[in-house]
Amino acid sequence: MHILFIEPDRLLARTYRQALELAGHTVHVAATAQAAVQAADEQRPDVVILELQLVGHSGIEFLYEFRSYDDWQAVPVVVLSLVPPGEFAGSRQLLAEQLGVHNYLYKPHTSLAKLQRTINQYTPVA
Amino acid sequence: MAERTSVQAALSEQLLLAVVEQLKLPLLQIARRAELGDAKTLPEIQTTADAAVKLLDNYLFGARLALDGQYELELEPVSVASVLYDSGQQLDALAKLYGVELELSLGGKFGPVMAHRSGLQSALVSLGYAMIEALPAQETSKLRLQLAAHRCRYGVVAGLYADADQLTTEALRLGRRLHGQARQPLTSVSHTSGAGVFVADAILQAMHAQLTVSKHHHLKGLGTVLQPNLQTQLV
Repeated sequence: MHILFIEPDRLLARTYRQALELAGHTVHVAATAQAAVQAADEQRPDVVILELQLVGHSGIEFLYEFRSYDDWQAVPVVVLSLVPPGEFAGSRQLLAEQLGVHNYLYKPHTSLAKLQRTINQYTPVA
Repeated sequence: MAERTSVQAALSEQLLLAVVEQLKLPLLQIARRAELGDAKTLPEIQTTADAAVKLLDNYLFGARLALDGQYELELEPVSVASVLYDSGQQLDALAKLYGVELELSLGGKFGPVMAHRSGLQSALVSLGYAMIEALPAQETSKLRLQLAAHRCRYGVVAGLYADADQLTTEALRLGRRLHGQARQPLTSVSHTSGAGVFVADAILQAMHAQLTVSKHHHLKGLGTVLQPNLQTQLV
């Protein structure tokens, strides 16, 4: 599966990438929203993993941009963030329905194994 | 006096929040790295843990200053080059881990400046950690960080500089305003709570110095103006 991993921390990104590559996925890492849009265009990901806290444009801004293109409407997005999901309690509908967030994983509570299981729910785009 | 105490307590609480938020990152790096179970990553885990411990140490230094009522560090003649060199030694391992090239750049020879030696070093190391983490998150083309000093109209500026155009006086001003209230106060430059910047800010204030955005050659960064030791100059 082609994964676009949007993660600003270089060390965490390296670990996630290694773990997912060991599991047989192809991983492209982007640190910023701008780089992620460009990478999505070039890599055609099957799934996007997204941290919301990015430098400059936030993960939410990326989502608005990403979902504005027809090609990317159906690509599953999993949020993996340091921001606790409780902070979005009032905006769950926005995240799920409008921005198409399939899963919200709180980073401190998400092991590599749990992330793998979540990603394995999705099938590659044909 | 009561007002000062409440200001100090608030400053200390804001710092605590920022540091706690910041510490999630190295702990996560360690936890996920350990889960990967690759023995080759042990030195990396050690470097990450060391950096987290130093951040905590520096925070405690700043927090004690804020809480014990002294809130002033005694100044003495200090060699700025030597402080920059020692700070570089402390930052080197983390910089390598993040792929950041760390350089020492002295714009001339300086006599002693008036500072609190360990305070100045703690401030520079805290700043360094914050900038090392933040640089790759900006996707800057060149990951280079300079520990630098140069003369200015008001004294000697010591600080850390990088290819970071987003680092502006306005970004720092906004960051200070949001510090303690927002999860990511320095949003245009850092994806974290930027605790290292605010720890440095608190320590420098206790030395009657200020953290400001400045330039070193064509690089931008955060630094502080230190007064030359006039007594030594007369001799």
